[in-house]
Amino acid sequence: MGRLLVLAGVILIPLTALILLIKRRIRIMAERYQQTPGRFPSPKGVLMFLLPLPVLFAAVAALARGHLGGLIGNAAGYGLFLAGALLLRRGLLSEVEYDRRRVAKAPWPLKTLGGGVIALATGVTAWLGAGQPLVMAVAFGLAALLGCSLTYGFDPHAAKRLTDREGVDVTDRVLEALTQAESSISAIERSTRDIRNAELNNRLRRIVALARRILTLLEEDPRDLRRARKFLNVYLDGAKQVTEGYAKTHVRAATPELEDNFRRVLVTIEEVFQEQQQKLLETDVTDLDVQIEVLTTQLKREGVI
Amino acid sequence: MPNSLRKFIGLLLIFAAVGVASCQALVASCSTAVAPLATLAPRD
Repeated sequence: MGRLLVLAGVILIPLTALILLIKRRIRIMAERYQQTPGRFPSPKGVLMFLLPLPVLFAAVAALARGHLGGLIGNAAGYGLFLAGALLLRRGLLSEVEYDRRRVAKAPWPLKTLGGGVIALATGVTAWLGAGQPLVMAVAFGLAALLGCSLTYGFDPHAAKRLTDREGVDVTDRVLEALTQAESSISAIERSTRDIRNAELNNRLRRIVALARRILTLLEEDPRDLRRARKFLNVYLDGAKQVTEGYAKTHVRAATPELEDNFRRVLVTIEEVFQEQQQKLLETDVTDLDVQIEVLTTQLKREGVI
Repeated sequence: MPNSLRKFIGLLLIFAAVGVASCQALVASCSTAVAPLATLAPRD
């Protein structure tokens, strides 16, 4: 038993150190290539999908050998592992969203819930799959729970709130506006799939990308929301209605005139969106200029420069 | 506790608990005897 523990330690410690080293290298590389366009799926929480794979093989082996008890135990264990890993991954991704935004509600405690389900899965697997005594299975579960808590931490529980200049809490209003805008963009994307014209589709794709960039700017600094109200209420909503209308109509009555009109509207929308993005970026630059000017004046007054 | 040390200990615990339980379940399923590992272990 002692030799087994030493052997496990000799294997596990270098393996964990290697994983941490690889993660660090990947993070450094990701920072270096941050400008690369396109989104890769996040690898967060993938470990919890890979580590319980032997339980799946164990269930298959039990099935092949006709061991009903082993099959039920391992299948239940693997199902719980999978559910826990999914919850954990969703929790980790919503935490990334929460960290990125300046205004956000506290996410559901999916990480904690996922850790709990993984702990239960470990206990069930150790008890029913590996044949450990119940007390040892509980110890396995507790170790897994502690491991998940230490590795992935706890869910954020405080909402990031925003108040305007008059001190009124506008968090809900900001979040509602952003959600509404996101649903409009998704509706445009859905309608794009129904339009069988490569040129118009490309235009719509550019418009969607522009709208998402504007939304990201607004998410990063929701104070700009007031300036972008026209964009959100008039142009984005209008773009959604026009695109949905064209997607429905052009199937039944595709006339060159209708296509030309739609093309003209898309050109205008694209120009307006570009202007809006430029305005938001310029406001940031102006804000920074003002801050630099204020700091310079202060430093001059105090005789530093 | 530094963040990296906390994660390191957490990962060790996950490997020790989840990894060992999974591998034991696989070995128990694949072993020729029907009895699981725990019953095969020598008793002092």
